[in-house]
Amino acid sequence: MGTSRNVERRTILKAAGGAAAALGLATTTACGGGDSGSGDGNVTLRYAWWGGEPRTIAMKKAIAVFEKKYPKIKIKPEFTDYAAFWEKFQTQASGGNPPDVFQNAVGFLRKYDKRGVLMDLKSQADAGNLDLNNFRNGVLANGQVDGKQLGIPVGANTMALVIDLKAFKKAGVEAKMGWTWDEYFDALQTIQDKLKIAGDTGYFGIMYLYDLYLRQNGKAFFTDSDLGFTEDDLTQWWADGYKRVKSGLVADPKKIEQVQPKSGLSAGLAASEFTWDNFSIRYEGEGESDYGLAPIPTTDGKDTGQYLGSLMLSAFSGTKHPKEAAQFISFMVHDPEVGKIMGYDRGILSTTEQYDAFVPTDDQNKGVKAYEEEVAKAGVLGKITPHPSGADVVEAAFLRIAGEVSQGKTKPADAAKALFSEAKAAFAG
Amino acid sequence: MTLVKEAPARPAKKRSAAPAAGRRGRRRENIAGYLFMSPWIAGFLVLTAGPMIASLYYAFTRYNLFTPPEWVGLDNFTTMFQDPRWQKSVEVTLKYVVVATPLKLLLALGVALLLAQKRSGQGLYRAAFYMPSLIGASVSVGFVWRALFSDDAIVDRTQKVFGLDVGGWIGNPDYVLYALVALSIWQFGAPMVIFLAGLKQVPQELYEAAEMDGAGPLRRFWNITLPMISPVLFFNVLLESIHAFQVFGSAYVVSNTQCGPADATLVYTCYLYQKGFKEAQMGFASAMAWTLVVAVALVTAVLFWSQKKWVHYEEAAK
Repeated sequence: MGTSRNVERRTILKAAGGAAAALGLATTTACGGGDSGSGDGNVTLRYAWWGGEPRTIAMKKAIAVFEKKYPKIKIKPEFTDYAAFWEKFQTQASGGNPPDVFQNAVGFLRKYDKRGVLMDLKSQADAGNLDLNNFRNGVLANGQVDGKQLGIPVGANTMALVIDLKAFKKAGVEAKMGWTWDEYFDALQTIQDKLKIAGDTGYFGIMYLYDLYLRQNGKAFFTDSDLGFTEDDLTQWWADGYKRVKSGLVADPKKIEQVQPKSGLSAGLAASEFTWDNFSIRYEGEGESDYGLAPIPTTDGKDTGQYLGSLMLSAFSGTKHPKEAAQFISFMVHDPEVGKIMGYDRGILSTTEQYDAFVPTDDQNKGVKAYEEEVAKAGVLGKITPHPSGADVVEAAFLRIAGEVSQGKTKPADAAKALFSEAKAAFAG
Repeated sequence: MTLVKEAPARPAKKRSAAPAAGRRGRRRENIAGYLFMSPWIAGFLVLTAGPMIASLYYAFTRYNLFTPPEWVGLDNFTTMFQDPRWQKSVEVTLKYVVVATPLKLLLALGVALLLAQKRSGQGLYRAAFYMPSLIGASVSVGFVWRALFSDDAIVDRTQKVFGLDVGGWIGNPDYVLYALVALSIWQFGAPMVIFLAGLKQVPQELYEAAEMDGAGPLRRFWNITLPMISPVLFFNVLLESIHAFQVFGSAYVVSNTQCGPADATLVYTCYLYQKGFKEAQMGFASAMAWTLVVAVALVTAVLFWSQKKWVHYEEAAK
């Protein structure tokens, strides 16, 4: 019975696919006979990324540079914001039609590797189509899973604390390397006492920050296939967080919610916010104050638990043009011209060619560069912890459930229980 | 009898008095009709019936879009009924339906009563009140709503004048659903137009007779208008409740695609969407969809059953 239904379903899907393909063909034939195949040797690659408008403008410039140097390869761009990107990608990939090359992140590597979507780029490197040399600080490892090279990092970034410089100065508190969590929360208290504003925008809902805290204590958010902490750990983390919302050290979540997509920090609701360092560039444009990067608080006065995260480029395992896809990726991560165009938009440029080519001129980019160099020099950088398949779903659940805790809608213990149950389902899916 | 010889395959049609040419003409007409309908029929089969059958099958499978669906029987349904977020989504949806539908219909009827009276500029008013229904489903209105009901926005400021400091509805899990209710009520135009049409059908002599008997306006409304328009009211209740059960766009946009804060706007379809497209649990999502179909069918059935008690059709009155 199952098979006959399957056949029926397939027929229906084929019919639907046929109709879509017919429509698709109709549009592509207009531009060069749909020759993404062979013939005259011209190849068209679909390239997808997520991000805001500035990234798209820069990316299109970079693509133009590539197309000039490789006249036989045409790039067809596809872009959306982060959430829409993965919803679209999932649908495309399940239909066997994902983009040839796409932006990727560590939380999605295992998930799509497990589903057979990602190309192991090692073979292309061996064939000489992709250069795996000159990556800085061992960041290339971010794209490796179980001995496979599934992504090539374009930029590297690390978690940081973005602070409202004016507010910190006015309150007379200083953020220094190696400060402890107690010192951090004392600083928030001082800010609240002196300036009557909250100190933090809601640290306890950020999965990547909790990961750092766990790493400082010898654990990690994820293991290869599971969560790397206990329900009690999380209950404690969220109970403390809620206590600080109640006392006003952390901004009112109701207000934070409503300024979105603006951040609570640039909206002036709090004096500091944990985020990835390359995101810090947005604050200057959004907010009224001056913003700077400060070190991550520690447990032992030394270890921040930090590592270099990164955005990467991956290729579809079933692409008809593996060679060209690899050439494109290689060019995008190594070409100095592209580095100059993209800047630190996706993190500090990951290859030495691009890193050397781009010299930041504005304070924000200079600040990010200085911060990363300082962190690297402090020798605190560890290796990235693995993200199992389903990590993306867990991250979304973490943020959502933390939101319920901060609004007083769920007790920390129940919330931790809920996260563990949702994580279990996500890892099984 | 020559006819039978010519077409022995269809002796049953002998009864028909129509000449052969006429029958052939009608058949040709039918074929033309089907031909004209064929894009719709094809669209229905491929885009509606096909996916529906597929989703019914998926409802009994575990299906992550990548690996072939795996038959799990009723597993999706049992997990669903035990899932606290699913329960929350049912609760939120019921609350929305029960609050938004009557309020919207009440306003629609009220305005329809006002607009049914002959006044100058009537057409303009009708158009103006209907307008929100035309643009109501758009994403941009969702954004406008978000802006209106946010912290320190116009609604919040107005409230503060009256000493009600909520700090904006959008970020507050206790209030945000009512912002959606307000959005639904604001789009009362469609049921209003239907009410207007119903009000026009009420024979004037009934009012005249009632007036002569000394019935006041309230009495006339209660004893004449309401019973006379009850079929229209029934239609509106039915349609609007079904719509309310399926609310999605406004919840999705107003809550910044999160159906929150704290799952406060986690309406049924929003959770379904999250399960299907964010978490890739298509089997679960399909099970949810069919549960909704059954639930809406039940509500419809109950409404149809109840109409015997309160809906008056003219045929019955005669």
